[in-house]
Amino acid sequence: MPAAIGTGRQAVFAPLDDGAGRSEAVVRRLGSAIALGLIADGEQLPAESDLATSLGVATVTLREALSDLRRRGLVETRRGRGGGSFVRVFEPALTALTQRRVRELGSADLRELGEFHAAVAGTAARLAAERATAAEMERLVAAVDRYADATTNAARRRTEGRYYIEVAAAAQSVRLTRQEIELQSELAELQLFPPDTTGWATATLGRHRAVVAAVGDRDGTLARRLTEECIGLRTLAMIEVHLSLGPTPGDTLDGDADVSWSTAKGELDDEPSR
Amino acid sequence: MTSRAADPTRYAATAESLVERVFGAVGLLREQVLDCRSNALSRREQLQAKHFAELRPGLSALLHAHRDVVVGMGMVIAPGILRGERHRVEWWQLLPGRDQPSALRVDLNPESLGFYDCDSAEWFSVPRRTGRRHIVGPYVDALGTDRYLLTFTAPVVADGTFLGVVGADVPVARFERCLLPAWADRAGGMGNVGAGKVAPDVLIINSQGRVVVSNSARALSGELLTDESAVAGTVRLDLPDVPWQLLLSERLFHGVGRNQP
Repeated sequence: MPAAIGTGRQAVFAPLDDGAGRSEAVVRRLGSAIALGLIADGEQLPAESDLATSLGVATVTLREALSDLRRRGLVETRRGRGGGSFVRVFEPALTALTQRRVRELGSADLRELGEFHAAVAGTAARLAAERATAAEMERLVAAVDRYADATTNAARRRTEGRYYIEVAAAAQSVRLTRQEIELQSELAELQLFPPDTTGWATATLGRHRAVVAAVGDRDGTLARRLTEECIGLRTLAMIEVHLSLGPTPGDTLDGDADVSWSTAKGELDDEPSR
Repeated sequence: MTSRAADPTRYAATAESLVERVFGAVGLLREQVLDCRSNALSRREQLQAKHFAELRPGLSALLHAHRDVVVGMGMVIAPGILRGERHRVEWWQLLPGRDQPSALRVDLNPESLGFYDCDSAEWFSVPRRTGRRHIVGPYVDALGTDRYLLTFTAPVVADGTFLGVVGADVPVARFERCLLPAWADRAGGMGNVGAGKVAPDVLIINSQGRVVVSNSARALSGELLTDESAVAGTVRLDLPDVPWQLLLSERLFHGVGRNQP
């Protein structure tokens, strides 16, 4: 059991206040915390009554949510001495949760999220180009290298998020950094990956390298423009997936774990009337 | 301009005494850590997390004594010193309006988006490598305190073993607030504002050229001072045993680090 609890984790167990079905909201909150690594693989969740209290839901709602998470393979319950609910990192289930979340949002929500992220990260990149020291430049290069080394979707989500956080820190702005951390937590819930994950990652990697090169050249205008373009492309890709998923919020556990970028696009092609 | 105001050593002396006050507190904390260790060893106990609990009263006293400049202090224990722990962050902050320090909680899981990477942090790696004290910053302590900081650290070594670093976090704004009035006293006036300029431009930069503190809006904390930014006639003075340099110019610095259209 890790001793340290970061600020991101405090939010995980904060009361829920969104209008979605209560047990669904619990599933989403815990699911994204697992996806972000805020709750580690194998970590034990607090006792049911404590968890229900801190999330502000009834124990029966929490049980419903835990049983949903158990069906998805994200939580494992062990009985007896030393028993309890333990977290399991299970990629397909996390992807399914992500897609359900994307479907709940309107494309305008995604557009706005992308625009706001471009504003924050674009400004951060411009300021980083003016202010980054040699040591901070090295950290940026290392951050992009970690993204290059990532081989799983979870690792890509995490390393890309950390790249943006490093840029904001190099900008010498506490406010931009905090905003970026918040945005990354929100975005990581939503990022979808095409079946051609390697191709997408390679393209993204090239864009990040170009930004870091512009920062190194102290070309703030270029760093900003490239960052905005990169985020713009990701936003469009996300909206495309969102639209292709269709309006049905039917959340079949087995089915949507398999929905990939290409099958989602395929559905779109089959239904030109949409 | 009087020659008294133009003497960089007076400005440097003020900065040095503030720096030495912070490192003094860090040094006391190091003594306490070493005492903790000796106590544990004399009881024939292996060093454990619980032994560091003994530090807390002393740490609290140090934080109270220096709360005008320091916000947090503590120790980051190196991997392998405590059984089963990579790093341990035993770091306490005295938040405004509070009497009791609160523990800084960071995420030490490398698989997390919020991972606080001690190994690659300059405040840890430099004292470990050089065996000497160090000041990092100004920098944004992302995913840690989320503050804009100067972090003063020193290595803790016992019987040839590196145990970790002890240190103090100084918010850039507090450092400035402590230093600038003293600088103004030296110069006989406050700041460099418009036509009422009574003091030369004085600033401290770190080894990377980043402005640590400045009495002029032409060079702000966090900006980079490029070679072209300092006008001819700038006096430079290295501050002893810290990676800082004091710059003084009777004339104006050009605006630094900002994009020229």
